[in-house]
Amino acid sequence: MLQRILTHSNKTDLVIDLAELISGFLLVGFLWVHMFFVASVLVGPQAFNQVPKFLEAYYLAQIGIPAVIVLILAHMVLAGRRIPNRLQEMKMIWKHSRLLMHYDTWTWVFQVITGVAIGILAAAHIWTVVSRWTINMSISAERVTQSPYFIFYIILLICGEYHVGIGLYRIGVKWGWFKRQKLSKVLDVITLAIIAMGIVSLFVIKSHAGVTGGGGQ
Amino acid sequence: MALRTLKLEIFRYNPNVSGDKPQMQEYILEEEPDMTLFMALTRLREEQDPSLIFDFSCRAAVCGSCAMLINGRPKLACKTMTKDLRKKITLMPLPVFKLIGDLSVDTGSWFRAMNKRLEAWVHTNKEFDPDAQEGRMDNDLALRIYESERCIECGCCVAGCGTAILREEFISSAGLNRLARFFIDPRDERSPDQYFEVIGNEYGTFGCVGLMACDDLCPMEIPLQQQLAFVRRKMLVAGLTGSGR
Amino acid sequence: MSVPNPYITDVLVIGAGLAGERTAIEAASCGCDVTILSIVPPRRSHSTGAQGGMQASLGNTAMGRGDNTDIHFTDTVKGSDWGCDQDVARLFANLAPVAVRQLSYWGCPWNRVVAGRKTLPDGREIEELVEYEGLIMARDFGGTAKWRTCYTADGTGHTVQYTMDTVVLKMGITVHDRVETLSLIHDGEKCYGAICRCLRTGKLMVYLAKVTVIATGGYGRLYGASTNAIINEGTGMFIALNTGIVPLGNMEAVQFHPTAIVPSWVLITEGARGDGGYLLDKDLHRFMPDYEPAKKELASRDVVSRRMMHHMRIGKGVDSKYGLHLWLDIRHLGRKHIYTNLREIAKVCQDFNGIDPAKELIPVRPTQHYSMGGVRTNIDGAAYGLNGLYAAGEASCWDMHGFNRLGGNSLAETTVMGMVVGRKAAEYVAGTTFIYKESMVRDHIKRQQERINNLIAGRNGKENIYKLKKIMEDALLEKVFIFRNGKDLQEAVNTLREVYQRSLKAGLMSDGQGANPELGAALRLPGMLRLALCIAYGALQRTESRGSHSREDYPKRDDANWLKRTLAYWPEEGDLPVLKYEPVKITELPPGERGYGETAAVKK
Ligand SMILES: Cc1cc2nc3c(=O)[nH]c(=O)nc-3n(C[C@H](O)[C@H](O)[C@H](O)COP(=O)(O)OP(=O)(O)OC[C@H]3O[C@@H](n4cnc5c(N)ncnc54)[C@H](O)[C@@H]3O)c2cc1C
Ligand code: SF4
Ligand code: SF4
Ligand code: FES
Repeated sequence: MLQRILTHSNKTDLVIDLAELISGFLLVGFLWVHMFFVASVLVGPQAFNQVPKFLEAYYLAQIGIPAVIVLILAHMVLAGRRIPNRLQEMKMIWKHSRLLMHYDTWTWVFQVITGVAIGILAAAHIWTVVSRWTINMSISAERVTQSPYFIFYIILLICGEYHVGIGLYRIGVKWGWFKRQKLSKVLDVITLAIIAMGIVSLFVIKSHAGVTGGGGQ
Repeated sequence: MALRTLKLEIFRYNPNVSGDKPQMQEYILEEEPDMTLFMALTRLREEQDPSLIFDFSCRAAVCGSCAMLINGRPKLACKTMTKDLRKKITLMPLPVFKLIGDLSVDTGSWFRAMNKRLEAWVHTNKEFDPDAQEGRMDNDLALRIYESERCIECGCCVAGCGTAILREEFISSAGLNRLARFFIDPRDERSPDQYFEVIGNEYGTFGCVGLMACDDLCPMEIPLQQQLAFVRRKMLVAGLTGSGR
Repeated sequence: MSVPNPYITDVLVIGAGLAGERTAIEAASCGCDVTILSIVPPRRSHSTGAQGGMQASLGNTAMGRGDNTDIHFTDTVKGSDWGCDQDVARLFANLAPVAVRQLSYWGCPWNRVVAGRKTLPDGREIEELVEYEGLIMARDFGGTAKWRTCYTADGTGHTVQYTMDTVVLKMGITVHDRVETLSLIHDGEKCYGAICRCLRTGKLMVYLAKVTVIATGGYGRLYGASTNAIINEGTGMFIALNTGIVPLGNMEAVQFHPTAIVPSWVLITEGARGDGGYLLDKDLHRFMPDYEPAKKELASRDVVSRRMMHHMRIGKGVDSKYGLHLWLDIRHLGRKHIYTNLREIAKVCQDFNGIDPAKELIPVRPTQHYSMGGVRTNIDGAAYGLNGLYAAGEASCWDMHGFNRLGGNSLAETTVMGMVVGRKAAEYVAGTTFIYKESMVRDHIKRQQERINNLIAGRNGKENIYKLKKIMEDALLEKVFIFRNGKDLQEAVNTLREVYQRSLKAGLMSDGQGANPELGAALRLPGMLRLALCIAYGALQRTESRGSHSREDYPKRDDANWLKRTLAYWPEEGDLPVLKYEPVKITELPPGERGYGETAAVKK
């Protein structure tokens, strides 16, 4: 205890808390922008193909992707410090949630689970995209037609959006600018809308397989 | 409403009796009109099992003695009516706190230690003058202080908080709410910096992950979410502008 | 038998309610080493349950303008029906404003004066002045000439107790909670501390002290229906009585409250009637106007209680599993009014009966509420009979309440008396050296240990304590209640004597191990019966009506014969107290009309 008191600094706790908050916000921003880019397919394949060009032209891809990776890692470390790390702690929190049957506590448990899932799935996603860099309709459509990939993306999408929705709710609640119940409703709508948009986009991309000519190679 | 035969499953364990093991024990009890769990437990003790340990004092939901897990949720037993529960009722002691026996836990020592840690009293250098008129205060402020002061230290919020279950030193929403009361009280001369020293950390305001079980479970309906957020914002400002380490 | 290590302190305060904590604070600030004992954590004491307020003649509000300590004194003496000691009432009235202001200094969030015009529920117009804005506000309470009751919304006892406890914390005063005192250690002249039982482990403990203070609150739970916390079993009073040398004063003076909700007996505050609620009988007839055409439901507490009891006796009560009751009807006040101005009442209805008072009737009946009697002390709070023993608060008979306590005067008494007793105790400590005989301490421990052993082994018999307790509760409730008469009281005394004898043959159903609650109840029961006998027997002997003591066979106050205080002693042998009497001290105000008897009643 003495050592902890001597070495403990409240400023650090504050900075870490803020860093978690800011990294979270940035990732939310990224994810939503990302989803709008993907949804550009709803406008048409040309629009979709235009996006990576635009990104590269302004060096957003070259800087952006590594930056996002760093952000994700940072966020994982920062937020991860709250995750029950010992098996017994996990059991305790699981038992607690089951006993309590309290909605918000369950959502936190799911947030942890989706967080871990995103860590793994996003790594795979980034790897597949970057390893064959450039994004265009044909490559994406080809990937999406393989059904494991299609399911993979749906899972990643739902996890990501759920995580973001709950995360935003939690930030709002913690800092208290909004009424809890109202905030939760608004965020539920946004989350569902983006998930719907994402799924529709995925189907559209899938439907383009072969059509744009590149699909069957 | 028709009266039922209730089946109560109660956690039994007396750490002071050597060889005793934790177990759930079942009791059958005839329901009575307007029966509260206080009445039900008292009847069990007087008619069936006088060794049953539990705590009640005011039996009027004002003293905070009788919180327990009622069908898994922390609640005040004295103001829980059996007619609002299903026929089968499980009762367990609150988690987090030290078990005294059966349904009784040592919330008193926990809260005393917490209040000491927070130095939850008015810090002032002024002397009391018995002949002088009292210091003035705006009535709205007095009511705002009262809003936090209403906490009866029952421990429902603590027992429902995932963070408190994992981290023994977490000051909990009851502690942060208590501190908010002194923070807004002009009679307390502590600076925001001094408050930041005590709770501007992982064991205080930044330890809360916003699960809001506390806000949903407080039997006094204290607006804990708003209190927690208020403290967090004040501590952010204090931490960024202050000279604390 | 192993003798526990004694814990030694200067001042041992038994009880962590308002009286106990205030005494401890004063003694500690005089430099004494102080230890507080309590059955429950301090903040769970009964004092936290008081909602109404605390009297002090600050005179800040428009309706309290011109108030002063003289008027407060006069109200208190009249309220007591001239049964109080007037020097004590004077000291009290003078110190109450200091007590309230000091609480404010310590952080109590008293409600404050808000300037401006207001209309009261009865239509009167008042104006709060700007020059008083921000000073401590007061509300109306029965039996006072001015608005004098300081309050914090609907939780005065709570905030005052919490404030007091912050000072105890700040001063680092030792508090041992979950400790129950079983007996006093004394040698017939001097008190040396107490023998206690740890309610965590069941072990015996010994506390030795230069001064012992009894601040254990009232005995409401002797009655089958009481507004008191369930830990109010009068333990502090009977440990003093059990010495055989310390008398209890005026035990027959018991206050009743007209409206407790059935069946949990949680108090429904005066506000319900003050704002225009009706009392109805089983035919839904509003009966108070028949008895009190002028004041109706707004007559004083004891008057309304008596009318309700009478009405139930003539067959107009509503029958229920929990006995007869009447209805309180506030539906006509409207949902908005009920859920804003009478919020605490609405909450009680919802929490304890699951009813909506805007739509449904509230079942109510009169119950025991406050004990004016207690450990008889002088004006310094020193108990009669033993040096080094003091008492404070509801457990004491300091005697400023006489035969009827005014609402709001009790919280004020705990605090004021704590100030006085703490200081006097510290003076006593400074003037004494502490020498005790170990054999004496050992004797006292042995006596308690033997009681415990006998109960566990079932050596005395097998009487069921909960059944005996129920007989006692019913006897008091039926025969030593609001209306009293010679025949009923004699029957009650007979019943209680018999039950007392049986209580000495009690045995346990459980094994009595550890913090066993049945053992605790068994240890208390004989003492509680002694108190019950002091109440019933004192009431039987007092052949007059005074304050809350109302004899149907002697309906008049009798100053010629009864302007005196009962002192009850418990003899070495036998099952009845020995009653002695002493004159009450009259210094300023000769006996006269109370001004709010059966017909002229209080506003609220
Ligand atoms: C419902 C209700 C409302 C009230 N409202 C008002 C009001 O508005 N205004 C007003 O002036 N008065 C009011 N009163 C009366 C007032 O609340 C009490 O008289 C007062 O609080 C008594 O304070 P106390 O310190 O003497 O005792 P308590 O607060 O009862 O404290 C007793 C203490 O002694 C301890 N104790 C008891 N026995 C033992 C033992 N054997 N060993 C160790 N510790 C022991 C207990 O744990 C407790 O800490 C009300 C009473 C009731 C029932
Ligand atoms: S918001 Fe959640 S984590 Fe924070 S104190 Fe309340 S229950 Fe605990
Ligand atoms: S904040 Fe509410 S739940 Fe928590 S201890 Fe206080 S009264 Fe109980
Ligand atoms: S017994 Fe006091 S809150 Fe339940």
